[in-house]
Amino acid sequence: MYKRIARTALIFILPVFIYNIAFRIYPIIYSLYLSFTKFSGLGTPKFVGMKNFQSLILDKEFWLSMLRTMQFSAEVLPANMLLSLLLALLINRKMFGISLVRSICYLPVITPMVAASVIWTWIYDPNVGILNFVLNLFGVGPVNFLGNMSTALHSIVMMRVWRGVGWNMIVYLAGLQSIPKEVYEAASIDGANSLEKFVRVTLPLLRPVHMYVLLVGLVSTLQTFTEVYVMTQGGPINSTTVVGLLIYKTAFDYMDMGYASAMSFVVGTIIMLASILAVSRRKEVAM
Amino acid sequence: MHTWRKVLVVMVMALIAVSAFSKNTVLVWFAGTDKALTDCVDKLVREFEKRNPDIDVQVEFVPWGELSVKVATSFAGGIGPDIFMHGQAAVAGFVENGVLMPLDDCVEALEDIGDFGEVIEAGRYKGHLYFVPVYGSGRLLAYRSDLFERAGLDPSKPPSTWEQLREYAIKLTEWEGNRMKVAGIDLEVPSQQVWGIFLMSNGGGFFNEEFEPVFNSPQGIEALEYFTELVRKYKVYPEAGLPKVANLDPIVAGTAAMAFVTAETMAAAKKYAPDVYEKIKLSFPPARIKKATFYSFGGFMVSRFTKNREATIKVLSYLTSKSSITEISYVLGGIPSRKSAVNDPRFGSDPIISLFIEGMKYAFWNPNVPFWTRARDILSQYIERTVRGTMTPKEALDKAVEEIRKLK
Repeated sequence: MYKRIARTALIFILPVFIYNIAFRIYPIIYSLYLSFTKFSGLGTPKFVGMKNFQSLILDKEFWLSMLRTMQFSAEVLPANMLLSLLLALLINRKMFGISLVRSICYLPVITPMVAASVIWTWIYDPNVGILNFVLNLFGVGPVNFLGNMSTALHSIVMMRVWRGVGWNMIVYLAGLQSIPKEVYEAASIDGANSLEKFVRVTLPLLRPVHMYVLLVGLVSTLQTFTEVYVMTQGGPINSTTVVGLLIYKTAFDYMDMGYASAMSFVVGTIIMLASILAVSRRKEVAM
Repeated sequence: MHTWRKVLVVMVMALIAVSAFSKNTVLVWFAGTDKALTDCVDKLVREFEKRNPDIDVQVEFVPWGELSVKVATSFAGGIGPDIFMHGQAAVAGFVENGVLMPLDDCVEALEDIGDFGEVIEAGRYKGHLYFVPVYGSGRLLAYRSDLFERAGLDPSKPPSTWEQLREYAIKLTEWEGNRMKVAGIDLEVPSQQVWGIFLMSNGGGFFNEEFEPVFNSPQGIEALEYFTELVRKYKVYPEAGLPKVANLDPIVAGTAAMAFVTAETMAAAKKYAPDVYEKIKLSFPPARIKKATFYSFGGFMVSRFTKNREATIKVLSYLTSKSSITEISYVLGGIPSRKSAVNDPRFGSDPIISLFIEGMKYAFWNPNVPFWTRARDILSQYIERTVRGTMTPKEALDKAVEEIRKLK
């Protein structure tokens, strides 16, 4: 009986198992193999041992792009988390039209990244962009947001915050709604005002949510590619070249698959370490 | 009776299968997915197959943006096409990776090779021909006649020297407070193509025969000094660049008075801003030592792994014939790589395309070096640094040369 159930279960599991082997495990292993080779994508990979990783250690461009990616994450995540939480607090109430407000806040999330990037490129345009139009009303500008080294990365950060805030807002909303009312009632009985309730009840009880949002956001921002590719192509003078774009260029523009694979593994390891750190911290918090 | 029918059906099917399998199949990849292109190619292929019933031409259309990735992955997987279209600058890289078949032995099979003129040299690498150009994209100096008149300049007398170009650009630049309303000239920083026009017209070059970068020559430094001064000293182009306006090039949108435009820009202006198109005039770029202008070419390469060599060359010959090139270039709005195309009334009657065809006499193209894309990005970055004032032209070019040498 159990054997039959197990066999049936196996049949159901098999497609997912094959999918994961073919499209996840095999590419990772193959990519790891490529990272020890010199391979242009054409012809046969040539084994070069640790050479790619040795070159990577001394590759200024790689480490600069890594730092830039971290700067990007460090700017996006706090802004995103803060805005998401504020929005979640705002919509965590029953009132007329709140569903519409929630939908509007969520709208950027379902906008494809390429479309969103093109729209924001227009918003930032120094000639016809709405942002410069508004600035012009105050006698400021025009500012070439994406053309200036000092503003380009921050401009992409703004776009990314706009796009990600809706998703995190829903996560925070779920978190807020899972806090038992009794805890707030107890706090009220103890004489806590609204601010004290927020600081001493809401924020601590949302810690697992903070960790989740932080972890997912960190992994996602460290993999940033599309918006930079569409909006600036990494310019001006590499000031927005994040590591994802550098890997893409190395692999497909410069046809250096081996070196790009080595870069991917280093970045992958950094993301994994950051995730493990965050997860272990989350467990500590949960305990 | 019933059994006989079955036997008959099986025999017919077997015959069809045998005849299908006995055909030589040639897989061709075209760059671009425009409907006009797909319709044109379908028509050409039908015509070819009618004349050559033993050859089955299978065509796939690949967007330009995905071409490099698809070519690389397909050859890595051993399923690459027999003939594929790509940019001329990719030739050296493909040859070094052992992907391309030299076409020297097939030149006789191609129709009137002399009709390509100098342009055929764009497909030569280390003395061997690997690429047959189909259509090109060139750059000519475009200027707005209305803005010329507004600045008190005569639209029938475009600038022909560097000094004149600078003088005109200064006069054409318009300001609104501290905002540059109209740039005198669009220099397209960080692209290296426009600077390349100044480099070549000053008698310089990008690489020597041994693939050594030589653009930091006195001619190169002088060209970059002139280029940088236009931005930093004479302020005829904004330091942070000049973006397109809702996908229209600055000269079409009216935010630049002069630019080095391609035939595609002109075609887009004609389609989306016909009133502006009438005001854009063209001339050859100003020369210092010699006339020079940048052209790039899309064309065909043949895979070294092709199984049906004879059939493949036959298809290549047909696709690069005078009539095919004329048709393909026409639907793509490009400049035909064959000189004879100017005799076609569709090109000959168009003064703009005629001028672009004439401009091929002064054409230079991306250097055929295997590491060109990386070298191009390094060079562009240092040109941009100079324009933004963080390095002197000499420092920037020396540094670029130093970095590019490491790629060899």
